[in-house]
Amino acid sequence: MIRIDGGIVLVIWLSLTSCAPFQLFPTEVADGVDKNFDFAAWRNMPSAKTGQKVQLGGRIVQTGPWDGALVIITTQLPIVERPAYGPSDNGRRSGEFAIFYAGALDRKWLTPGNRLIVIGTTEQAKTVVVDDVKRSLPSLTAYCIRIWQTVGKEIADFPYNAGGGYEPLVQDTFCASQ
Amino acid sequence: MTRSQRRYFVRCPAGFLLLGILTSPPVTAGEPLKIQSPRQVHLLLAQAEPVQSGSSESPGPQQLPPGGTSVEDVLLQKGTITMDEWIQIRAEQEYRGAENSRRIDGIEDWKTRTELLPILRDKVNFGLNALQFLYTHQDAKVPEGKSQDNFSIRRSEILFWGRISDTIPRWHALMEFQSINFGRETPTGGSGAATGQPIAATFFRESYIDFRPFQSWAPYVNFIRMGIFRMPFGIFTEQSGGLRDVISSPYLTSVGSGPPNATGTAGTIDFLQERDFFVDVRGRLFNRLEYVAGIMNNNNFHANATGSNAPKSFYTRVRLFGTDVSWISFTTIQGESNNANTNINGRGKGRFDRYGLDFRYTSKLIPGLMVQGEWWQGHDGANATTVGLPANGTCQDTALCGGSGAPGVQRRTWYILGKYLISDGFFQNWEPTVMYEQFDPRTSVSDDLYTRTIVGLTYYFENFPPKIQSKVQINYEFRHHQGNGPGVPYDATFDAFAHNAFLVMFQVRFM
Repeated sequence: MIRIDGGIVLVIWLSLTSCAPFQLFPTEVADGVDKNFDFAAWRNMPSAKTGQKVQLGGRIVQTGPWDGALVIITTQLPIVERPAYGPSDNGRRSGEFAIFYAGALDRKWLTPGNRLIVIGTTEQAKTVVVDDVKRSLPSLTAYCIRIWQTVGKEIADFPYNAGGGYEPLVQDTFCASQ
Repeated sequence: MTRSQRRYFVRCPAGFLLLGILTSPPVTAGEPLKIQSPRQVHLLLAQAEPVQSGSSESPGPQQLPPGGTSVEDVLLQKGTITMDEWIQIRAEQEYRGAENSRRIDGIEDWKTRTELLPILRDKVNFGLNALQFLYTHQDAKVPEGKSQDNFSIRRSEILFWGRISDTIPRWHALMEFQSINFGRETPTGGSGAATGQPIAATFFRESYIDFRPFQSWAPYVNFIRMGIFRMPFGIFTEQSGGLRDVISSPYLTSVGSGPPNATGTAGTIDFLQERDFFVDVRGRLFNRLEYVAGIMNNNNFHANATGSNAPKSFYTRVRLFGTDVSWISFTTIQGESNNANTNINGRGKGRFDRYGLDFRYTSKLIPGLMVQGEWWQGHDGANATTVGLPANGTCQDTALCGGSGAPGVQRRTWYILGKYLISDGFFQNWEPTVMYEQFDPRTSVSDDLYTRTIVGLTYYFENFPPKIQSKVQINYEFRHHQGNGPGVPYDATFDAFAHNAFLVMFQVRFM
């Protein structure tokens, strides 16, 4: 009887968690964020739009250390709702930006091609080295980053279309140490 | 400018240049002063400005605007070179420029062509699903001429796939290039037809199309999948061979050897086939609940058009996620099976069902630790038989199967697997694995249990699943088989499931 009760409790718990709204970022981080930030305008005049709390999606191009922090060079991608929520590659190059994250991440999360959504504050353009070339990129300081370990594939390809068979998509949210 | 126009101006650049200089309109009061270098003048000419003869002064070094940047301009200004020499230099420069333009045009042509290639538009891709070289040492005795030490290609699978559109987000074909032996099926004749006809090869493993009829319904009703693919049952049957944590397949896919018996405890049993013909619908609710529901052939291990189309079965799986990579699932299959003309071992004629429960826990507290398990139970129809043994509702070769009348038996199996990937230090990229499993061919009979403990060690050369995984796996399997039930004669000498085995496999996977 105890086993049955335990099973019922488990099913109820899982059902309740399944029905709970899904939230990528902590509420205090997501509050007041501009989800429709004009990336193109920012890219053209990065220094004209500093200090704004924004949400951007993208694909990791390159990562490296930067003055005690981590810099993630990211190609901006639009965030779509369907077929799966997250950054999606529409085939058009939109431009790159630099994310400065105060913390360390395992290299698996930083594999080029991984998708991410970042919430952070826009900063002045910074000169970074991308593929051995110095470039001035718009930058932001990250509060939190959601990373999907897609390794170049689309989020919608998981779990059924990533390869042969089923493969769940590993994903997690990381917040910078304050 | 078209290519022909450009060619025309390349042929006589000097003449046009001179003409352009001569015909430059005079600057009038009120207009902003435009300082034009000779190059700019020529560009204006190239745009086919109307020629106004006799409206300009003769060009000379002293009339050139200041600020000329090229060497020849400076030299002309200083009078070091003549106008003819300046024109000649410029003509050569223009020629070189035109030549460069021609080359760039050529590259642009090729770029346009290559951009249309399907492989660059994600419409056609290919990859190496798994190329595996396997060494096996088997403790069980083997027939004369065979060896207990075996080399083999476990898998040589090339995967093709693509995305046609939002409506058809995936097509998929998986080819197996090494298992080209023809498989058989159970014949319906008497003992004279004991071997059955070779009917199909497993040259191609999977072929399917995903169809997403309504974009706005995704991911709740994500897509309809139709074709041949890994069954969405539990974990192992659906996991690609290139991503498995142990070398051998679990007993739930296949166990046992030899012919069946009248009690349903002996012979090879394919409790859950890995692939079949399906059509199903899949979706995800609230980002935490995945479901699959569909219909399958249920009798077609080879999954080939020449194989049998058996009575259909309904199946469904619901998977509840605790985290992104930890879950618990419930699966059921309900339908009917037949022992005649089947390609699957251990199936009888009559009602058929399976119930499955599986879970996976991927630790976030201890990164690298993963534990998963499956529990399966289900009925097979009466007179379960094996492929090649005649059957037609009842066993047709009683000398082999020990007589007819085996009841529809309930079978049960389960396993639990744990592994830990070491991510730093001297043993970085090593992964110890342990797995224990049981298979009970008939739950109401004792002394027929199969058990196995696998102790494994994996080293990853590259580990970026699901696309890339190159590794070497070392497994030792402690195998035990109790027998075929109480009072049933059993000889373990040649029974591979009753003797330990050692396996080493080298794998490359890249896509």
